[in-house]
Amino acid sequence: MRSPVLPLTWHLAKSSGRRGLHSQLLAAGAAAVGSFLLLLMIAASLGAGTRADHTTWRTPDAVPAGKATAVQATTTTYVRHEPVTVVNLARLPGRGPTPAPPGLSGFPKQGQVYVSPALADLLRELPADRLAGRFPEVRSYGTIGAAGLASPDELVAVVGRAPGDAAVSKAAGEQNYYDENLTERAPIAGFSGTEASVFTGTDQGTVLLGVVLLVMPVVVPASAAGRLGAARREQRLAALRLAGATPRQILAMTAVEAAAVGAAGALAGALAYTALLPALAEVPYGVGAWYTGQLWVGPAWLAAVVLAVTALITVSAVTTLRQVATSPLGVAQQADPRRTRLIRLLLFVAVLVYIWSTTGGGQLKPRQLLALLAIFYGAFWLLGPWAVDRLGRIVGRRAKRPATLLAARRLSDDPRGAWRTVSGLVLAGFVAGFFSVSSLGSEGPRHEGQVAVITANAADARHTASEARTLLREAGVTATVAVTSEDDYESLLGGINGVTAQVTGGQEQIDTAVTALTPLGSGRYPITQEYVSASDDTALDRIATVSTATLVLSFLVAAASAGLTAAANVLDRRRVYGLLRLAGTPLLVLDRARIRETVIPLTVLAGGTTAMGVFGATQLNKAAGTTINTSGAVQLAICVAVGALAMFAAIAGSKPLLRKVTAGPAQTAD
Amino acid sequence: MRATRWRSWARRGPASRPCCTPSPGSSAPTAVRCCCAASEARWGPPAEGWGRIDDLGENRLSALRRKRFGFVFQFGQLLPELPAEENVALPLMLEGVPRKEAVARARHWFAPLGLEGLEQRRPGQLSGGQAQRVAIARALVVEPDVVFADEPTGALDQRTSTEVVQLLTFATRETGAALVMVTHDADVAAHCDRVLHVRDGRISDHSQFTVA
Repeated sequence: MRSPVLPLTWHLAKSSGRRGLHSQLLAAGAAAVGSFLLLLMIAASLGAGTRADHTTWRTPDAVPAGKATAVQATTTTYVRHEPVTVVNLARLPGRGPTPAPPGLSGFPKQGQVYVSPALADLLRELPADRLAGRFPEVRSYGTIGAAGLASPDELVAVVGRAPGDAAVSKAAGEQNYYDENLTERAPIAGFSGTEASVFTGTDQGTVLLGVVLLVMPVVVPASAAGRLGAARREQRLAALRLAGATPRQILAMTAVEAAAVGAAGALAGALAYTALLPALAEVPYGVGAWYTGQLWVGPAWLAAVVLAVTALITVSAVTTLRQVATSPLGVAQQADPRRTRLIRLLLFVAVLVYIWSTTGGGQLKPRQLLALLAIFYGAFWLLGPWAVDRLGRIVGRRAKRPATLLAARRLSDDPRGAWRTVSGLVLAGFVAGFFSVSSLGSEGPRHEGQVAVITANAADARHTASEARTLLREAGVTATVAVTSEDDYESLLGGINGVTAQVTGGQEQIDTAVTALTPLGSGRYPITQEYVSASDDTALDRIATVSTATLVLSFLVAAASAGLTAAANVLDRRRVYGLLRLAGTPLLVLDRARIRETVIPLTVLAGGTTAMGVFGATQLNKAAGTTINTSGAVQLAICVAVGALAMFAAIAGSKPLLRKVTAGPAQTAD
Repeated sequence: MRATRWRSWARRGPASRPCCTPSPGSSAPTAVRCCCAASEARWGPPAEGWGRIDDLGENRLSALRRKRFGFVFQFGQLLPELPAEENVALPLMLEGVPRKEAVARARHWFAPLGLEGLEQRRPGQLSGGQAQRVAIARALVVEPDVVFADEPTGALDQRTSTEVVQLLTFATRETGAALVMVTHDADVAAHCDRVLHVRDGRISDHSQFTVA
């Protein structure tokens, strides 16, 4: 006989009315947000890796001199604080052909200059004495294709040189302490280097840090979508059991309904991700915006995420129903408040002590570090509901107003639910608080406004200084030129023979000075502060960006979770709300209680960890003798303010629903 | 609904205990909701100083229901997350009574209603009869003029039902409040001064008792 489960589920879903449809839409909405964000996180991780792969060809893949067919010298120069990667290539005479670099149709001939589209725009925009003068003069530039670029915004030039050109000489590739990964020279036979550029090499790792922070806060509310509308389902369970349905049939019907709603939501999220790809690709990270294809995860990941979210929601719905089946009255009447125990705090402390003792020993392998992170994460999630429960009890004890009392009691009643909403912000708040305010990495001496040229020895330096004065004067740059020696550590060159020019008049003048002094560098570009601190600045910039993005996404998750849960609670508790309204409880009190339910843990826990992060960074900065990153602090404040407002707006979004479901108590209360 | 039919007993004022015994499908609960200004169809000035209730806005109506009326429903009117004493204290807190005083006044009702020792229990940890008695305490704690009870014993067994009705009538008498009750149970109706039988939206019969 054909199973009645499917047709009956379909019939009941169709006839569940507007309120049933509301619940299903909310669950589908939560699934959509979950799958969208999961896909976004996967896309960013994979895309960051792809971007890094697109830069590996620029690192010379050294081969023995006998096998080399060309020489590659990659270096970096800065314009308007942005790095321009310059790949100098020279064919070795009498050797075989060298394959074309990625993004180029052929190996560049001597005198040819290929530039990325963004660099081409910049060359057109800026006067020649600021940028174009750094490259050989050509009638027209060739274009580097997307295959050779990490981002459409990346500034890259490939210059064909003569084998004897200074730019590809051994001197051009000499390494100082700050040159690592920024300037490298080697004989090559192709472009199969494996090391990514300094500007993209840390991108994927940093994105993964954000993913680790976000994955639980995204997955848990998404899977909790299966619990939305639990009360409605419980009522239906009772009615179906009375009508003679077996527990297995009820479970099957619940699973089918949850899976259908979850799959619809997850698909909607996947579609939204696909449709928004071009817009998402415009969001800059690191070297700039993305190529759309870099953010496309492919059909396999797409299907995996849709299936995973559907499975999570189905399992969550069936698990909730199993609790109902075990003790239907208990669940319906909430006889057993979901108390949390002190053991959670003890376990958390034990884990902290364990991590402290393990990391104190010295360097850890990445796998050990990952395991420790996972343990910390688990302990953190164990502690969260306990903290919310405690908070609810403390606030409940001291509450003077009915709205605060109701909110506090709700927190103690379902601390896990409240924790699910704010958990992401609690973790992300600390990380974002720390890294957005911190100026660490820049605590070393900075020599802003200095342009330096390295020379072979002290005698050369004196001669170069005199030439530099002439060139700068001709370029209209006001600068104080000085000779640095091996004993002089107070300049940009830090103990290396050369010349420094302290330029006055802002960035425009510095760029002009770099261009003017380029001929003096014996094939090396003059360097500025950005070049010297590129590695640290890049790593910190990526961490700061990712931590802010994590905070933004956490707010998005929290706002969606809070909004959907608030609406689902209104539907589930419409009877109680209806009767309270009937008995004269002002709706304003109920609205305030619903908002405070989120505001209290948000302010105390997430606000607390963010403040801790800011405090920690401030103290470290103070110890290092630097000031806080003011623009980062402002960015953090704006992010927190906008995020908090978005959350309140999401909760307030269910106000009309509350009024609607309690509007006719005579009809809805029964 | 024939509003005029209800007007006479709705205006009788405090210290009266009319009871409606509706036939299945009739609209007595709706009529009671009209009287307590909980329905769109409402009429008459039920209390001095409030004006016509059909002229009152949502906030004033809420205040009227909160200050002058008490409510006991069949089930589900207690907030599951609040302990019993806070459920009872809530209407007072909504009126601006400080929490300490509100809880103290709420506790005052526990002993007379046989709820001693249950102050900290949550609704889910109470029996049906106990939950109804907490609901009675909550209805009476604001010292209302009228208590409206809509099938207050509908979800209780016979013995508990009798206990609850006795407590309800006793408590309203003690506080001088009028009790308007809707019930299908003749035994429950027998505790009231007047019984109005409602059939198809009309009062089909009425009787008057003298309750000892």
